[in-house]
Amino acid sequence: MDHAVIQLIVSGALMGLVYALVAYGFQLTYATSKSINFGQGELVMLSAFVSLTLTNTGLPYYLMIPGGLLFGVIAGLFVERAGVRLALEQKSEGWILMTIILGLFGISAAENIWGRDDRPFPTPIPTEPIQFFGVSITPLEISVAVGVVLIMVVIELFKRKTLLGKAFEAVSADRDAAELMGISATRTIMLSYGLSGLVAALAGILVSPITTVGPTMASALVLKAFSVAVVAGLESGFGVVIVGLFLGSLESLTSFYVGSGWREAPGLVLLILALAIRPTGIFGKAVIRKV
Amino acid sequence: MLVVTDLYAGYGMSEVLMGTSLTVKKGTVVALIGPNGAGKTTTMRTISGSIKPTRGEIILDGAPVQGLEPSYIARLGLAHAPEGRKVFGPLSVEDNLLLGAFTRLPRFFGFHAKAADDLEKVYNLFPRLKERYRQASGTLSGGEQQMLAIGRALMARPKVVLLDEPSMGLAPVIVDEVFDIIRRLKESGITLLLVEQSAKRALEVADYAYVMERGRIAVEGVPQELQKNERVIAAYLGN
Repeated sequence: MDHAVIQLIVSGALMGLVYALVAYGFQLTYATSKSINFGQGELVMLSAFVSLTLTNTGLPYYLMIPGGLLFGVIAGLFVERAGVRLALEQKSEGWILMTIILGLFGISAAENIWGRDDRPFPTPIPTEPIQFFGVSITPLEISVAVGVVLIMVVIELFKRKTLLGKAFEAVSADRDAAELMGISATRTIMLSYGLSGLVAALAGILVSPITTVGPTMASALVLKAFSVAVVAGLESGFGVVIVGLFLGSLESLTSFYVGSGWREAPGLVLLILALAIRPTGIFGKAVIRKV
Repeated sequence: MLVVTDLYAGYGMSEVLMGTSLTVKKGTVVALIGPNGAGKTTTMRTISGSIKPTRGEIILDGAPVQGLEPSYIARLGLAHAPEGRKVFGPLSVEDNLLLGAFTRLPRFFGFHAKAADDLEKVYNLFPRLKERYRQASGTLSGGEQQMLAIGRALMARPKVVLLDEPSMGLAPVIVDEVFDIIRRLKESGITLLLVEQSAKRALEVADYAYVMERGRIAVEGVPQELQKNERVIAAYLGN
């Protein structure tokens, strides 16, 4: 393979990690409640705007990270309370429409508060490429990769090493039995929406300096993340990373060799193929059971 | 310890329980037997809060609990080992046990040390679980899963244990093993409400028993009496 191809794969893969991160946010809430926030993209966008606003307040620059993340958690909890909980209690699918509506509100709010124009997100991290074996990567891109991997490792450790994390897994495995152990499913679902909001906010903060910040910045992103989540299956955190990297590279190759107008095509084709051939996803597993 | 009075409950429009009453005194094993569809499992599920009763009262250790959330009732000292075991399949045996003690352990770190004594007790009772403590519980055999479900219930140090159909789907040898365990728990002073298809075995281990038919208690008494009751013999102890 020549360097141009490797270069395309590497820069595509980095974007793919952001898809993986947003897809991971879908998985977190799906695990506990079998519901997802269809307004996740708007949550990414709003968190990016909040962080951008924080950088303009004269506070230390990096305070925008905890600030944006905190906003993400609160927004995630709000979505759960306002759009999801009632629907789940009534065993209805109303959360689908409710989360879409909340997302649309989010776009309107952003347009009214910050305007419709895309804005640059200033960053102190250098954007001068560094050469690795003939492939050039910018430190900014590296920061995205590090951020994505770090948050996913932290959340996976939380799920495996703490009792609350194990309770999270227990609710995913069998909600009724978890309740019998004194684990409140309602609170666990809240927790999952909070974490999902955190993940979305981080995606927004990481990606904005590369793209720009605007009310529709995440609409394509979230579609691709959805495609990654479906292709990988809604259970496997490892799977979304693999599929995310794959889709990101594929997009970048497609846009170079076929034409930049075809950039969004691979994600949608993969989504259709997955739904037609293997709706549980490549990494979705049938439950192991032996009686 | 557990007093159920005139309980009505069901699924949607269909009433399953129509005035069930029963009492489990502290330190006794009480059996609830009867045909399929009589409402035994529904009684259990209503006591532990998964089903909300439409009428009636459930008193756990002196406090009314009817209508409360299952997780809240669990915190008040009720452990329910449900029908079909319901172990957390993807989680390890030990994680399942630790989650049994969820209500009294720290949420983040140090929970393992705090549960060490209880783990030791459960492993003494079920050495096979100790051998497999890291295995995903979904890959255990049916008998091992049943033992895990019982162990998990004990981890909570509950005031009352509900045990639903422990022999379901198990080979006779394994059923013997499960009932040996129930007998040992009885000697150690457990307060247990046992639902069981196999009336004969249930009556052998129980201090007191209720026979349920169509959502009501039809007959009750000490096992020695019930074993002589013609109606019970005809319906459940025949052959």
